[in-house]
Amino acid sequence: MKISAGLPTGVSAALFDSARRRRRLEARLSALLEERGFAEVLLPILDYFEPYRPLLTGRRLEQLYRFVDRDGQLLVLRGDFTPMLARLLAPHLDELELPLRLYYRGDVVRHQPLRPGRMREYSQLGAELLGGDEAEADEQMLTLFFDLLLEARGEAPAVVDGEEHALRVVLGVAGALDEALLAAAGEHEASDLALRIASRDRIAARRAGLAEVVERGYPTDLSVLGGTGEAVFELLALRDRLSSAYRDAAVEIEVDLAEFAAAALDPRIGVGSGPRGYYDGLMFAAYAPGTALALGVGGRYDKVFRSLSGDCSAVGFSLGLDLLLELGVAEARS
Amino acid sequence: MITIGLPKGRNLGPARAALAAAGLNLDGLDSSRLRQRFPDQSVLGTPVEVLLLKDWDLPLYVEHGIVDCAIVGSDVLEETQPDVFRPLQLKGGRSRLSLIAETPELPKRSGQLRAATRYPTWAARLLAARNLHVEVIHLTSSIELGPLLDLTDVAVDIVQTGGTLRAHDLHEVEVLAAVAPTFVVNRASFHAHRRRLSGLLGALEETETGGE
Repeated sequence: MKISAGLPTGVSAALFDSARRRRRLEARLSALLEERGFAEVLLPILDYFEPYRPLLTGRRLEQLYRFVDRDGQLLVLRGDFTPMLARLLAPHLDELELPLRLYYRGDVVRHQPLRPGRMREYSQLGAELLGGDEAEADEQMLTLFFDLLLEARGEAPAVVDGEEHALRVVLGVAGALDEALLAAAGEHEASDLALRIASRDRIAARRAGLAEVVERGYPTDLSVLGGTGEAVFELLALRDRLSSAYRDAAVEIEVDLAEFAAAALDPRIGVGSGPRGYYDGLMFAAYAPGTALALGVGGRYDKVFRSLSGDCSAVGFSLGLDLLLELGVAEARS
Repeated sequence: MITIGLPKGRNLGPARAALAAAGLNLDGLDSSRLRQRFPDQSVLGTPVEVLLLKDWDLPLYVEHGIVDCAIVGSDVLEETQPDVFRPLQLKGGRSRLSLIAETPELPKRSGQLRAATRYPTWAARLLAARNLHVEVIHLTSSIELGPLLDLTDVAVDIVQTGGTLRAHDLHEVEVLAAVAPTFVVNRASFHAHRRRLSGLLGALEETETGGE
Protein backbone atom coordinates (compact mmCIF):
# COMPACT_ATOMS: atom_id res chain seq x y z
CA MET A 1 0.00 0.00 0.00
CA LYS A 2 1.34 3.41 -0.94
CA ILE A 3 1.50 5.76 2.07
CA SER A 4 0.86 9.45 1.45
CA ALA A 5 3.18 12.03 3.03
CA GLY A 6 0.38 14.60 3.02
CA LEU A 7 -0.72 16.48 6.15
CA PRO A 8 -4.07 18.06 7.02
CA THR A 9 -4.80 21.53 5.68
CA GLY A 10 -2.97 24.28 7.55
CA VAL A 11 -0.42 21.94 9.14
CA SER A 12 3.26 21.52 8.28
CA ALA A 13 6.26 19.67 9.61
CA ALA A 14 9.61 21.32 10.36
CA LEU A 15 12.31 18.99 9.09
CA PHE A 16 16.09 19.17 9.08
CA ASP A 17 17.35 22.74 8.71
CA SER A 18 14.00 24.41 9.40
CA ALA A 19 13.77 22.44 12.68
CA ARG A 20 17.31 23.48 13.62
CA ARG A 21 16.59 27.13 12.81
CA ARG A 22 13.42 27.13 14.92
CA ARG A 23 15.11 25.53 17.91
CA ARG A 24 18.03 27.97 17.64
CA LEU A 25 15.62 30.91 17.60
CA GLU A 26 13.70 29.50 20.57
CA ALA A 27 16.94 29.02 22.47
CA ARG A 28 18.09 32.60 21.91
CA LEU A 29 14.74 34.11 22.86
CA SER A 30 14.36 31.81 25.89
CA ALA A 31 17.84 32.78 27.10
CA LEU A 32 16.85 36.45 26.99
CA LEU A 33 13.63 35.75 28.89
CA GLU A 34 15.47 33.75 31.56
CA GLU A 35 17.98 36.58 31.86
CA ARG A 36 15.09 38.98 32.58
CA GLY A 37 13.77 36.75 35.36
CA PHE A 38 10.99 34.94 33.45
CA ALA A 39 10.37 31.29 34.33
CA GLU A 40 9.21 28.80 31.73
CA VAL A 41 5.87 27.02 32.06
CA LEU A 42 4.93 23.90 30.10
CA LEU A 43 1.24 23.76 29.34
CA PRO A 44 -0.80 20.80 28.09
CA ILE A 45 -2.13 20.55 24.56
CA LEU A 46 -5.46 19.08 25.76
CA ASP A 47 -7.89 20.83 28.06
CA TYR A 48 -11.56 20.86 28.98
CA PHE A 49 -13.80 23.03 26.82
CA GLU A 50 -15.98 24.32 29.66
CA PRO A 51 -13.53 26.81 31.29
CA TYR A 52 -13.22 28.71 28.02
CA ARG A 53 -16.91 29.55 27.69
CA PRO A 54 -16.67 32.70 29.85
CA LEU A 55 -13.19 33.57 28.53
CA LEU A 56 -13.64 33.21 24.80
CA THR A 57 -16.72 34.14 22.83
CA GLY A 58 -17.57 34.61 19.17
CA ARG A 59 -14.96 33.79 16.60
CA ARG A 60 -12.21 32.66 19.00
CA LEU A 61 -14.50 30.08 20.60
CA GLU A 62 -15.57 28.79 17.19
CA GLN A 63 -11.93 28.41 16.17
CA LEU A 64 -11.18 25.89 18.94
CA TYR A 65 -10.75 22.29 17.83
CA ARG A 66 -13.09 20.44 20.17
CA PHE A 67 -14.13 16.83 20.45
CA VAL A 68 -15.73 14.34 22.80
CA ASP A 69 -13.20 11.86 24.17
CA ARG A 70 -13.92 8.21 25.04
CA ASP A 71 -15.01 9.20 28.56
CA GLY A 72 -17.62 11.55 27.16
CA GLN A 73 -15.71 14.71 28.16
CA LEU A 74 -15.80 17.72 25.79
CA LEU A 75 -12.14 18.60 25.23
CA VAL A 76 -10.25 21.21 23.22
CA LEU A 77 -6.83 21.34 21.65
CA ARG A 78 -4.74 24.29 22.86
CA GLY A 79 -5.79 27.34 20.84
CA ASP A 80 -4.18 30.05 23.00
CA PHE A 81 -1.71 30.01 25.88
CA THR A 82 -2.82 33.11 27.79
CA PRO A 83 -6.38 32.09 28.82
CA MET A 84 -5.14 28.58 29.69
CA LEU A 85 -2.47 30.01 31.94
CA ALA A 86 -4.94 32.46 33.50
CA ARG A 87 -7.50 29.77 34.26
CA LEU A 88 -4.82 27.57 35.87
CA LEU A 89 -3.46 30.41 38.01
CA ALA A 90 -6.67 32.25 38.96
CA PRO A 91 -7.71 29.86 41.78
CA HIS A 92 -4.22 30.10 43.34
CA LEU A 93 -3.64 33.86 43.24
CA ASP A 94 -3.55 34.10 47.05
CA GLU A 95 -0.69 31.63 47.25
CA LEU A 96 1.42 33.22 44.50
CA GLU A 97 4.18 35.71 45.08
CA LEU A 98 3.53 38.65 42.75
CA PRO A 99 4.78 40.04 40.48
CA LEU A 100 5.07 36.77 38.58
CA ARG A 101 7.04 36.52 35.35
CA LEU A 102 6.29 33.54 33.14
CA TYR A 103 6.99 32.49 29.58
CA TYR A 104 5.92 29.66 27.33
CA ARG A 105 6.62 28.24 23.90
CA GLY A 106 4.83 25.67 21.80
CA ASP A 107 2.19 25.15 19.15
CA VAL A 108 -1.42 26.31 19.10
CA VAL A 109 -4.12 25.13 16.71
CA ARG A 110 -7.08 27.14 15.47
CA HIS A 111 -9.60 26.25 12.78
CA GLN A 112 -9.36 29.49 10.85
CA PRO A 113 -9.50 30.51 7.20
CA LEU A 114 -6.15 30.03 5.52
CA ARG A 115 -4.46 33.31 4.68
CA PRO A 116 -0.98 34.15 3.45
CA GLY A 117 1.38 33.13 6.24
CA ARG A 118 -1.43 31.93 8.51
CA MET A 119 -1.50 28.19 9.19
CA ARG A 120 -3.94 26.31 11.42
CA GLU A 121 -1.11 25.02 13.60
CA TYR A 122 1.64 27.47 14.43
CA SER A 123 4.28 27.98 17.05
CA GLN A 124 4.30 30.79 19.55
CA LEU A 125 6.59 32.10 22.20
CA GLY A 126 5.08 34.45 24.73
CA ALA A 127 5.54 36.06 28.11
CA GLU A 128 3.17 37.17 30.87
CA LEU A 129 3.71 39.52 33.79
CA LEU A 130 1.14 39.21 36.58
CA GLY A 131 0.79 41.76 39.37
CA GLY A 132 2.96 44.78 40.13
CA ASP A 133 2.47 48.42 39.23
CA GLU A 134 0.45 48.53 36.00
CA ALA A 135 2.23 51.39 34.25
CA GLU A 136 5.65 49.97 35.09
CA ALA A 137 4.58 46.49 34.01
CA ASP A 138 3.26 47.83 30.67
CA GLU A 139 6.55 49.58 29.91
CA GLN A 140 8.62 46.63 31.07
CA MET A 141 6.72 44.21 28.83
CA LEU A 142 6.84 46.50 25.82
CA THR A 143 10.60 46.82 26.29
CA LEU A 144 10.87 43.03 26.46
CA PHE A 145 8.68 42.74 23.33
CA PHE A 146 11.06 45.06 21.42
CA ASP A 147 14.17 43.32 22.72
CA LEU A 148 12.88 39.89 21.68
CA LEU A 149 12.01 41.17 18.21
CA LEU A 150 15.45 42.73 17.85
CA GLU A 151 17.09 39.55 19.13
CA ALA A 152 15.12 37.59 16.52
CA ARG A 153 16.15 40.01 13.81
CA GLY A 154 19.75 39.58 14.87
CA GLU A 155 22.14 41.46 12.66
CA ALA A 156 19.86 41.56 9.64
CA PRO A 157 20.30 44.91 7.93
CA ALA A 158 17.72 47.59 8.57
CA VAL A 159 18.11 48.80 4.97
CA VAL A 160 17.76 46.33 2.08
CA ASP A 161 18.19 47.43 -1.56
CA GLY A 162 17.90 51.04 -0.47
CA GLU A 163 14.57 50.40 1.26
CA GLU A 164 14.17 50.94 4.98
CA HIS A 165 13.24 47.70 6.73
CA ALA A 166 12.37 48.92 10.20
CA LEU A 167 10.25 46.90 12.58
CA ARG A 168 7.07 48.80 13.29
CA VAL A 169 5.24 48.55 16.56
CA VAL A 170 1.72 49.95 16.80
CA LEU A 171 0.29 50.97 20.18
CA GLY A 172 -3.35 51.38 21.17
CA VAL A 173 -5.69 51.37 24.14
CA ALA A 174 -8.81 49.22 24.35
CA GLY A 175 -11.96 51.30 24.32
CA ALA A 176 -10.16 54.49 23.25
CA LEU A 177 -12.66 55.10 20.45
CA ASP A 178 -15.79 53.70 22.10
CA GLU A 179 -17.29 56.97 23.34
CA ALA A 180 -16.45 58.82 20.12
CA LEU A 181 -17.95 56.04 17.99
CA LEU A 182 -21.10 55.92 20.09
CA ALA A 183 -21.50 59.68 19.80
CA ALA A 184 -20.89 59.59 16.05
CA ALA A 185 -22.94 56.58 15.08
CA GLY A 186 -25.69 56.01 17.56
CA GLU A 187 -26.14 52.77 19.42
CA HIS A 188 -27.21 50.60 16.49
CA GLU A 189 -24.48 51.46 13.99
CA ALA A 190 -21.44 51.85 16.24
CA SER A 191 -20.07 48.36 15.58
CA ASP A 192 -20.32 48.86 11.82
CA LEU A 193 -18.55 52.21 12.14
CA ALA A 194 -15.84 50.59 14.31
CA LEU A 195 -15.23 47.98 11.60
CA ARG A 196 -15.03 50.66 8.92
CA ILE A 197 -12.53 52.69 10.92
CA ALA A 198 -10.45 49.57 11.63
CA SER A 199 -10.36 49.09 7.86
CA ARG A 200 -9.18 52.74 7.50
CA ASP A 201 -12.32 53.82 5.62
CA ARG A 202 -11.61 57.52 5.17
CA ILE A 203 -15.12 58.57 4.19
CA ALA A 204 -16.75 56.87 7.21
CA ALA A 205 -14.07 58.28 9.53
CA ARG A 206 -14.53 61.80 8.17
CA ARG A 207 -18.30 61.61 8.61
CA ALA A 208 -17.77 60.45 12.21
CA GLY A 209 -15.39 63.33 12.90
CA LEU A 210 -12.51 60.85 13.28
CA ALA A 211 -10.57 61.59 10.08
CA GLU A 212 -7.36 62.15 12.02
CA VAL A 213 -7.66 58.72 13.61
CA VAL A 214 -7.32 56.98 10.24
CA GLU A 215 -4.88 59.50 8.76
CA ARG A 216 -2.39 59.87 11.62
CA GLY A 217 -3.55 57.34 14.22
CA TYR A 218 -5.10 59.61 16.86
CA PRO A 219 -6.88 62.98 17.04
CA THR A 220 -4.98 66.19 17.77
CA ASP A 221 -7.68 67.16 20.22
CA LEU A 222 -7.84 64.19 22.59
CA SER A 223 -10.96 65.58 24.26
CA VAL A 224 -13.06 64.16 21.38
CA LEU A 225 -12.31 60.75 22.91
CA GLY A 226 -14.10 61.69 26.13
CA GLY A 227 -12.97 59.83 29.24
CA THR A 228 -10.34 57.81 27.41
CA GLY A 229 -8.45 60.88 26.19
CA GLU A 230 -6.22 60.80 29.26
CA ALA A 231 -5.25 57.16 28.62
CA VAL A 232 -4.25 58.10 25.06
CA PHE A 233 -2.23 61.05 26.38
CA GLU A 234 -0.30 58.63 28.61
CA LEU A 235 0.13 56.28 25.66
CA LEU A 236 1.70 59.08 23.60
CA ALA A 237 4.12 59.79 26.45
CA LEU A 238 4.99 56.07 26.58
CA ARG A 239 5.59 56.08 22.82
CA ASP A 240 7.95 59.05 23.15
CA ARG A 241 9.96 57.39 25.93
CA LEU A 242 10.27 54.14 23.97
CA SER A 243 11.11 55.93 20.70
CA SER A 244 13.90 57.70 22.51
CA ALA A 245 15.19 54.45 24.05
CA TYR A 246 15.15 52.61 20.69
CA ARG A 247 16.32 55.50 18.52
CA ASP A 248 19.29 53.55 17.11
CA ALA A 249 17.53 50.21 16.67
CA ALA A 250 15.46 50.80 13.50
CA VAL A 251 12.20 50.38 15.41
CA GLU A 252 9.37 52.72 14.48
CA ILE A 253 6.74 53.16 17.18
CA GLU A 254 3.39 54.73 16.46
CA VAL A 255 0.11 55.22 18.26
CA ASP A 256 -2.74 54.04 16.05
CA LEU A 257 -6.12 53.80 17.71
CA ALA A 258 -7.77 52.52 14.53
CA GLU A 259 -5.61 49.38 14.60
CA PHE A 260 -7.59 47.98 17.51
CA ALA A 261 -11.01 49.53 16.91
CA ALA A 262 -12.90 46.69 15.27
CA ALA A 263 -14.13 44.82 18.34
CA ALA A 264 -15.32 47.99 20.04
CA LEU A 265 -18.99 48.29 20.83
CA ASP A 266 -20.17 45.09 19.21
CA PRO A 267 -22.42 43.26 21.65
CA ARG A 268 -21.74 39.96 19.89
CA ILE A 269 -18.04 40.29 20.57
CA GLY A 270 -17.09 39.44 24.10
CA VAL A 271 -13.94 39.37 26.13
CA GLY A 272 -12.06 36.92 23.96
CA SER A 273 -12.73 37.48 20.29
CA GLY A 274 -12.20 39.86 17.43
CA PRO A 275 -9.11 41.85 16.62
CA ARG A 276 -9.06 43.34 20.13
CA GLY A 277 -9.10 39.85 21.64
CA TYR A 278 -9.28 39.76 25.41
CA TYR A 279 -7.26 42.91 25.91
CA ASP A 280 -8.82 45.66 27.99
CA GLY A 281 -6.04 48.24 28.33
CA LEU A 282 -2.76 48.78 26.48
CA MET A 283 -2.54 46.84 23.19
CA PHE A 284 0.34 46.47 20.76
CA ALA A 285 1.26 44.70 17.53
CA ALA A 286 4.50 44.45 15.53
CA TYR A 287 4.84 44.46 11.75
CA ALA A 288 7.72 44.10 9.30
CA PRO A 289 7.82 45.04 5.61
CA GLY A 290 6.24 42.52 3.29
CA THR A 291 4.46 40.60 6.02
CA ALA A 292 0.83 39.61 5.82
CA LEU A 293 0.34 39.22 9.56
CA ALA A 294 1.54 40.82 12.77
CA LEU A 295 4.80 39.25 14.01
CA GLY A 296 3.47 39.50 17.54
CA VAL A 297 0.59 40.97 19.53
CA GLY A 298 0.08 41.74 23.18
CA GLY A 299 -1.63 43.82 25.77
CA ARG A 300 -3.19 44.12 29.20
CA TYR A 301 -5.89 41.57 30.05
CA ASP A 302 -6.96 42.15 33.67
CA LYS A 303 -10.53 41.40 32.55
CA VAL A 304 -9.68 37.75 31.93
CA PHE A 305 -8.80 37.32 35.61
CA ARG A 306 -11.90 39.24 36.69
CA SER A 307 -14.07 36.90 34.62
CA LEU A 308 -12.38 34.03 36.48
CA SER A 309 -13.30 35.68 39.81
CA GLY A 310 -9.68 36.61 40.34
CA ASP A 311 -8.24 40.05 40.97
CA CYS A 312 -4.87 40.41 39.30
CA SER A 313 -3.37 42.85 36.85
CA ALA A 314 -1.86 41.08 33.86
CA VAL A 315 0.00 42.05 30.71
CA GLY A 316 1.55 39.76 28.11
CA PHE A 317 2.29 39.07 24.48
CA SER A 318 3.02 36.31 22.03
CA LEU A 319 5.35 36.19 19.06
CA GLY A 320 4.77 34.04 15.98
CA LEU A 321 7.94 31.98 15.63
CA ASP A 322 7.01 30.75 12.15
CA LEU A 323 6.54 34.32 11.00
CA LEU A 324 9.88 35.42 12.42
CA LEU A 325 11.59 32.50 10.71
CA GLU A 326 9.75 33.02 7.45
CA LEU A 327 11.02 36.55 7.32
CA GLY A 328 14.54 35.23 7.50
CA VAL A 329 15.21 37.67 10.30
CA ALA A 330 16.51 34.94 12.55
CA GLU A 331 19.08 33.72 10.08
CA ALA A 332 21.48 36.58 10.40
CA ARG A 333 23.23 35.16 13.45
CA SER A 334 23.08 31.51 12.53
CA MET B 1 9.54 52.42 -3.70
CA ILE B 2 5.76 52.06 -3.53
CA THR B 3 4.37 49.16 -5.55
CA ILE B 4 0.81 49.61 -6.76
CA GLY B 5 -1.24 46.71 -8.12
CA LEU B 6 -3.68 47.56 -10.88
CA PRO B 7 -6.40 45.27 -12.22
CA LYS B 8 -6.58 44.04 -15.77
CA GLY B 9 -10.07 44.34 -17.18
CA ARG B 10 -13.04 46.59 -16.47
CA ASN B 11 -11.56 48.34 -13.42
CA LEU B 12 -8.29 49.40 -15.07
CA GLY B 13 -9.76 52.47 -16.77
CA PRO B 14 -11.44 53.94 -13.65
CA ALA B 15 -8.33 53.11 -11.57
CA ARG B 16 -5.99 54.95 -13.94
CA ALA B 17 -8.37 57.88 -14.24
CA ALA B 18 -8.62 58.23 -10.45
CA LEU B 19 -4.84 58.03 -9.97
CA ALA B 20 -4.29 60.56 -12.76
CA ALA B 21 -6.78 62.95 -11.16
CA ALA B 22 -4.88 62.52 -7.89
CA GLY B 23 -1.64 63.50 -9.63
CA LEU B 24 -0.20 60.08 -10.49
CA ASN B 25 -0.02 59.97 -14.26
CA LEU B 26 0.50 56.48 -15.69
CA ASP B 27 0.25 57.49 -19.35
CA GLY B 28 2.94 55.10 -20.57
CA LEU B 29 1.29 52.06 -18.99
CA ASP B 30 1.71 49.08 -21.30
CA SER B 31 -0.98 46.49 -20.64
CA SER B 32 1.20 43.71 -22.08
CA ARG B 33 3.91 44.20 -19.42
CA LEU B 34 3.63 42.79 -15.91
CA ARG B 35 5.94 45.20 -14.05
CA GLN B 36 6.61 48.81 -14.95
CA ARG B 37 8.45 51.64 -13.21
CA PHE B 38 7.52 55.27 -13.62
CA PRO B 39 10.68 57.26 -12.85
CA ASP B 40 8.99 60.59 -13.49
CA GLN B 41 6.10 59.82 -11.13
CA SER B 42 6.24 59.62 -7.33
CA VAL B 43 4.14 59.51 -4.18
CA LEU B 44 5.58 62.27 -2.01
CA GLY B 45 9.07 61.73 -3.43
CA THR B 46 8.95 57.91 -3.42
CA PRO B 47 9.26 56.23 -6.84
CA VAL B 48 6.32 54.20 -8.11
CA GLU B 49 6.19 50.74 -9.60
CA VAL B 50 3.01 49.27 -11.10
CA LEU B 51 2.11 45.59 -11.38
CA LEU B 52 -0.74 44.65 -13.72
CA LEU B 53 -2.55 41.60 -12.35
CA LYS B 54 -5.90 39.87 -12.61
CA ASP B 55 -8.59 41.38 -10.39
CA TRP B 56 -9.20 38.07 -8.60
CA ASP B 57 -5.51 37.61 -7.78
CA LEU B 58 -4.80 41.13 -6.54
CA PRO B 59 -6.07 40.69 -2.94
CA LEU B 60 -3.60 37.85 -2.42
CA TYR B 61 -0.69 39.95 -3.70
CA VAL B 62 -1.71 42.75 -1.33
CA GLU B 63 -2.03 40.40 1.66
CA HIS B 64 1.42 38.95 0.97
CA GLY B 65 2.90 42.45 0.68
CA ILE B 66 4.12 41.82 -2.90
CA VAL B 67 2.30 45.04 -3.74
CA ASP B 68 1.83 47.73 -1.10
CA CYS B 69 -1.58 48.77 -2.34
CA ALA B 70 -3.96 48.08 -5.20
CA ILE B 71 -7.28 48.97 -6.75
CA VAL B 72 -9.64 45.98 -6.70
CA GLY B 73 -13.36 45.57 -7.33
CA SER B 74 -15.37 45.44 -4.09
CA ASP B 75 -17.11 42.35 -5.56
CA VAL B 76 -13.81 40.46 -5.45
CA LEU B 77 -13.15 41.71 -1.90
CA GLU B 78 -16.59 40.61 -0.70
CA GLU B 79 -16.11 37.15 -2.15
CA THR B 80 -12.50 36.58 -1.05
CA GLN B 81 -12.58 38.54 2.26
CA PRO B 82 -8.87 39.36 2.33
CA ASP B 83 -7.26 40.78 5.46
CA VAL B 84 -6.39 44.19 3.97
CA PHE B 85 -7.26 47.81 4.71
CA ARG B 86 -9.94 49.37 2.48
CA PRO B 87 -9.55 53.11 2.90
CA LEU B 88 -11.45 54.36 -0.14
CA GLN B 89 -13.96 53.39 -2.81
CA LEU B 90 -13.65 55.13 -6.17
CA LYS B 91 -16.54 56.98 -7.71
CA GLY B 92 -15.78 55.94 -11.28
CA GLY B 93 -16.49 52.44 -12.55
CA ARG B 94 -19.31 51.70 -10.13
CA SER B 95 -21.80 48.93 -10.88
CA ARG B 96 -24.21 46.69 -8.97
CA LEU B 97 -24.68 43.05 -8.07
CA SER B 98 -28.17 42.02 -9.09
CA LEU B 99 -30.57 39.13 -9.01
CA ILE B 100 -31.39 38.30 -12.64
CA ALA B 101 -34.21 36.17 -14.05
CA GLU B 102 -36.12 35.53 -17.25
CA THR B 103 -39.20 37.12 -15.66
CA PRO B 104 -39.56 40.52 -13.88
CA GLU B 105 -40.50 38.67 -10.68
CA LEU B 106 -38.63 35.92 -8.87
CA PRO B 107 -39.69 32.56 -10.40
CA LYS B 108 -42.01 30.52 -8.16
CA ARG B 109 -40.72 27.04 -7.39
CA SER B 110 -42.07 24.40 -5.06
CA GLY B 111 -38.51 23.39 -4.17
CA GLN B 112 -35.33 25.36 -3.63
CA LEU B 113 -34.33 27.92 -6.25
CA ARG B 114 -31.03 27.55 -8.07
CA ALA B 115 -28.80 30.55 -8.72
CA ALA B 116 -25.77 30.80 -11.00
CA THR B 117 -23.03 33.18 -9.92
CA ARG B 118 -19.31 33.78 -9.90
CA TYR B 119 -19.63 34.88 -6.25
CA PRO B 120 -20.86 31.75 -4.41
CA THR B 121 -20.03 32.93 -0.86
CA TRP B 122 -21.11 36.55 -1.20
CA ALA B 123 -24.27 35.71 -3.14
CA ALA B 124 -25.30 33.05 -0.61
CA ARG B 125 -24.76 35.59 2.20
CA LEU B 126 -26.79 38.32 0.48
CA LEU B 127 -29.62 35.96 -0.47
CA ALA B 128 -29.78 34.41 3.01
CA ALA B 129 -30.11 37.92 4.46
CA ARG B 130 -33.27 38.24 2.32
CA ASN B 131 -34.58 34.87 3.54
CA LEU B 132 -33.90 33.39 0.12
CA HIS B 133 -32.24 30.05 0.66
CA VAL B 134 -31.06 29.00 -2.75
CA GLU B 135 -28.75 26.39 -4.17
CA VAL B 136 -25.79 28.32 -5.51
CA ILE B 137 -24.06 27.06 -8.65
CA HIS B 138 -20.57 28.46 -9.20
CA LEU B 139 -19.88 29.53 -12.79
CA THR B 140 -16.78 31.40 -13.89
CA SER B 141 -18.10 33.21 -16.97
CA SER B 142 -21.27 33.93 -18.99
CA ILE B 143 -23.38 33.79 -15.85
CA GLU B 144 -26.49 34.84 -17.75
CA LEU B 145 -26.42 31.47 -19.52
CA GLY B 146 -27.47 29.80 -16.25
CA PRO B 147 -31.16 30.80 -16.44
CA LEU B 148 -31.15 31.03 -20.26
CA LEU B 149 -30.11 27.39 -20.65
CA ASP B 150 -32.19 26.21 -17.67
CA LEU B 151 -29.15 25.27 -15.61
CA THR B 152 -30.52 27.55 -12.89
CA ASP B 153 -33.66 29.57 -12.12
CA VAL B 154 -31.85 32.86 -11.58
CA ALA B 155 -28.40 34.43 -11.86
CA VAL B 156 -26.56 36.74 -9.48
CA ASP B 157 -24.11 38.89 -11.38
CA ILE B 158 -22.64 42.33 -11.98
CA VAL B 159 -24.82 44.72 -13.97
CA GLN B 160 -23.19 47.85 -15.39
CA THR B 161 -25.29 49.26 -18.21
CA GLY B 162 -27.88 46.48 -18.46
CA GLY B 163 -26.98 45.93 -22.13
CA THR B 164 -26.29 42.20 -21.70
CA LEU B 165 -29.62 41.73 -19.93
CA ARG B 166 -31.54 43.49 -22.68
CA ALA B 167 -29.70 41.53 -25.37
CA HIS B 168 -30.81 38.25 -23.75
CA ASP B 169 -34.26 39.44 -22.72
CA LEU B 170 -33.41 39.01 -19.02
CA HIS B 171 -34.75 41.09 -16.10
CA GLU B 172 -33.04 42.70 -13.15
CA VAL B 173 -35.33 41.45 -10.36
CA GLU B 174 -33.50 43.15 -7.50
CA VAL B 175 -30.27 45.04 -6.81
CA LEU B 176 -28.45 43.13 -4.06
CA ALA B 177 -25.40 45.35 -3.49
CA ALA B 178 -23.40 48.24 -4.89
CA VAL B 179 -19.99 47.46 -6.40
CA ALA B 180 -17.08 49.90 -6.70
CA PRO B 181 -13.35 49.81 -7.47
CA THR B 182 -11.72 49.97 -4.04
CA PHE B 183 -8.28 51.14 -2.95
CA VAL B 184 -6.78 48.50 -0.64
CA VAL B 185 -3.55 48.55 1.37
CA ASN B 186 -1.38 45.84 2.96
CA ARG B 187 -1.31 46.17 6.78
CA ALA B 188 2.46 46.36 7.15
CA SER B 189 2.80 48.68 4.14
CA PHE B 190 0.19 50.99 5.62
CA HIS B 191 2.41 51.52 8.65
CA ALA B 192 5.64 51.62 6.62
CA HIS B 193 4.38 54.18 4.08
CA ARG B 194 1.75 55.87 6.20
CA ARG B 195 2.65 59.49 5.39
CA ARG B 196 3.07 58.86 1.65
CA LEU B 197 -0.03 56.74 1.26
CA SER B 198 -2.01 59.20 3.33
CA GLY B 199 -1.00 61.92 0.85
CA LEU B 200 -2.10 59.82 -2.13
CA LEU B 201 -5.33 58.80 -0.40
CA GLY B 202 -6.06 62.40 0.53
CA ALA B 203 -5.69 63.45 -3.13
CA LEU B 204 -7.82 60.50 -4.26
CA GLU B 205 -10.48 61.31 -1.68
CA GLU B 206 -10.51 64.93 -2.79
CA THR B 207 -11.01 64.03 -6.45
CA GLU B 208 -13.33 61.07 -5.87
CA THR B 209 -15.68 62.77 -3.45
CA GLY B 210 -15.27 66.36 -4.58
CA GLY B 211 -14.06 67.10 -1.06
CA GLU B 212 -17.44 66.26 0.47
